[in-house]
Amino acid sequence: MKTKLEKMDLTLYYEKLDNGLDVYIVPFDKVNSVYVTFSTKFGSVHDEFIPYDRTSMTKFPLGIAHFLEHKLFEQKNGVDPFTFYSERGSEANANTSNFKTTYLFSGTNFLDENLNYLLDYVQDPYFTDENVEKEKGIIEQEIRMYEDSPYFKLYDRILYNSFKNHPIKYPIAGTISSIKKITKKDLYTCYYTFYHPKNMFLVITGNVDAKDTISLIKANQENKVFKPYKDIKLKEYDEPDEVCIKNGSTEMDIAIPKFSIGYKIRNNTSLSINKFKTYIGMFFDIKFGSVSLFNETIKNDNLATLDMDITLVNTDKHVLVILSNDTNNSKELINRIETELDSRDIKETDFNRKKKVKKSSVIYKSDSIYAINNKIMANIINEGSVITDEHKYIDSLNYEEFMNTINSINLNNKTIYNINKKKD
Amino acid sequence: MKYRKIKTQAYNLHVIKTSKFKTITVEVCFKSKLDKEEITYRNLLINTLCEACNKYKTKREMSIATEELYELSYQATNYISGAYNVMCFDITFLNDKYTEDGNFEASLDFLCEILFMPLIESSYASTRFNNKNFELSYNLLEENIKTIKENPTLYSKMRLLEIMAPNSIHSYRSCGYLEDLKNVTSAKLYDYYLKMLKSDILDIFVIGDITESRVKKAITERFKIHTLKKKSESHFVSMKRTRLLPKKVVEKMDLSQSQLALGYKLDKTNDFEKRYVMNVLSYILGGGPDSKLFKEVRENNSLCYSITSRSMPLNNALYITAGISANDFKKAVSLIKKNVKSMEKGEFESDDIMKAKVTYMNSIKELEDNPQNLLSMYTGMEYLGSDDISNRIKKISKVTKKDVMRLASKLHLDVIYLLKGACNED
Repeated sequence: MKTKLEKMDLTLYYEKLDNGLDVYIVPFDKVNSVYVTFSTKFGSVHDEFIPYDRTSMTKFPLGIAHFLEHKLFEQKNGVDPFTFYSERGSEANANTSNFKTTYLFSGTNFLDENLNYLLDYVQDPYFTDENVEKEKGIIEQEIRMYEDSPYFKLYDRILYNSFKNHPIKYPIAGTISSIKKITKKDLYTCYYTFYHPKNMFLVITGNVDAKDTISLIKANQENKVFKPYKDIKLKEYDEPDEVCIKNGSTEMDIAIPKFSIGYKIRNNTSLSINKFKTYIGMFFDIKFGSVSLFNETIKNDNLATLDMDITLVNTDKHVLVILSNDTNNSKELINRIETELDSRDIKETDFNRKKKVKKSSVIYKSDSIYAINNKIMANIINEGSVITDEHKYIDSLNYEEFMNTINSINLNNKTIYNINKKKD
Repeated sequence: MKYRKIKTQAYNLHVIKTSKFKTITVEVCFKSKLDKEEITYRNLLINTLCEACNKYKTKREMSIATEELYELSYQATNYISGAYNVMCFDITFLNDKYTEDGNFEASLDFLCEILFMPLIESSYASTRFNNKNFELSYNLLEENIKTIKENPTLYSKMRLLEIMAPNSIHSYRSCGYLEDLKNVTSAKLYDYYLKMLKSDILDIFVIGDITESRVKKAITERFKIHTLKKKSESHFVSMKRTRLLPKKVVEKMDLSQSQLALGYKLDKTNDFEKRYVMNVLSYILGGGPDSKLFKEVRENNSLCYSITSRSMPLNNALYITAGISANDFKKAVSLIKKNVKSMEKGEFESDDIMKAKVTYMNSIKELEDNPQNLLSMYTGMEYLGSDDISNRIKKISKVTKKDVMRLASKLHLDVIYLLKGACNED
């Protein structure tokens, strides 16, 4: 299937293979490189589910999706994937997020070999007790590296305190004690549950011929045998609207204290969670973003020197908005935020200017094979399909609907976290 | 892609015409000889110029203007390049084709407002930047300088260089210094700004689908700088070797993970070694997940998550960093030393050389896909006398195993630095 990506001068080729694998290709005629991502819908939040070979819900140690990502680079007899890609001058990597795990490479040459190899190594796991043990020391150092970043700690704590039941509250890599419990058997169970082609998708952007590449992928997949696919039953979480813990703080060896405030907002509208999130994002951006009067005032009053940081995270029912900054007076700054939120008035001109900005960013994105690949992956995870006409989506954002949404939200469920300076 | 360098007395205009991008990128670079005190001035200056100007009196007004210009993005950076300090102002915006006629000139006007029409105040004999604007920029820089230690990896690399080459241009902090900041006033900064416009070497780069004549006309109309500029000298300055045995320094911080950094100085190297052989050596040693250090220290011994080596051809040095547990300090150092030694002994395959070369060639081809990368290539050609793409490919393919071994034999471990985490492990 061939569809135009509107306003981007690009075409999307899509095909579902016989084994269920979804393939998306966007050729770019002016670039040298190709970027290929191979993803499974298995992320850090999927820690409880009915495994492929069982009938009851089973809970796995936190951080197992990320651990599995590390271990897929282990190969029985063949070459190590990093060596393979290095020999072809290409870069290989992988990453795990809340909702998916992605294996990737980019390069300017050897596309066919690189692509075949990506499919082969991800679809051929090799875990031993020994190589699983060895990985624990490496991941422990990775977790400690994050712990030393104050910004990571703020984010981590706010998520933990905001949610009560949903596993999005936990760090993606798990904890030093949880990863120590992971076994070879756990990894195989997760692998066979989530790494079936029916639960995976391949996205290719860049210097590529769509037809040839689809034939290559088909040939690669045709001869492989997979265990029969069983629909994945994930645990559903009954998440309250209230935050789990309202206040928290810690001390670190930092120069300037930092804080975050998280607003946990339930989608009570009939809008999809994504459109709801878009409106919430626009509201907070207009109120607190770099163009806001608020942002200017707090700097003039010496409450902060940096722009307010605004981060949005969502589950199926809630959007969590996190506002953060460095400040020597978080109490006053939080008061100002609360006062600012007393008024929900947004001017239509501001709303329309943000729409114009969104439209321009569609064109900026279309110059980058990485941005387009990421967009497609995000669309698949968040929307279930690719949005081919983003301008149409932006046009559908409507001021009246926006104001109704903003006036309907409850901003009383919030949590605050402070990182203070360690006293000598 | 077509490249043209147009020389005037006061500046060089570099036009890179290519239909690859929907955007146009303009970069204006001022450079001057590296001086410690001036680093702080220059950082403060970019903050002040980007905070407000006469037309857009606050950062907020400036941001609204960028949104109206179809989300133009602008940034200014100040970095150290060997013997020079380079200050760059960048804008990226959409081509007229995707916006409206004249968007190129309108975007360029925005940049020129920032560069040439700052928000100033005068009283009697002196002119200065607007005080409020100066204060905001001052606070921002003060915070930047203070928060360096919040990034342990960066902080330990900086400390390593300071111990390797104390009080020299090799170890100057590119963000500036609090003690210098305290002495800057709004009036002094304004005087420095005028001096910079007059005496800095100026290069302007334009990349995008736009004709040379249109670029030339627009730039000439807007850049009314006519002073004759000095000729640039070389950016390359080698670190001096001052000790025969490596110095070990341990400093403490309240961290969960300890940061290890090893600094190496090199004996005299030639141009080919600096530009090409160093690259191959560092790639094989610790350039990525297929490197010796990654395999040995991380994969075989589980001592770390990240470990890398980076060459510093402008300073004739190389450093290795890793995040480890303090208990593994001795073991990690001895493994790293052993692997560096093995490079000298030639304990690597010609296959490794081949991998380093194809990776290099791949990255050269990827340069062309992104305007920012292209820019850094052309600034490299202008400032460092780097080769163009075809010559780079020719020369990198000439690197032999012997070259790498010879260069490895010139490496001397100078400093072993550990930023020791004070937290209890477990």
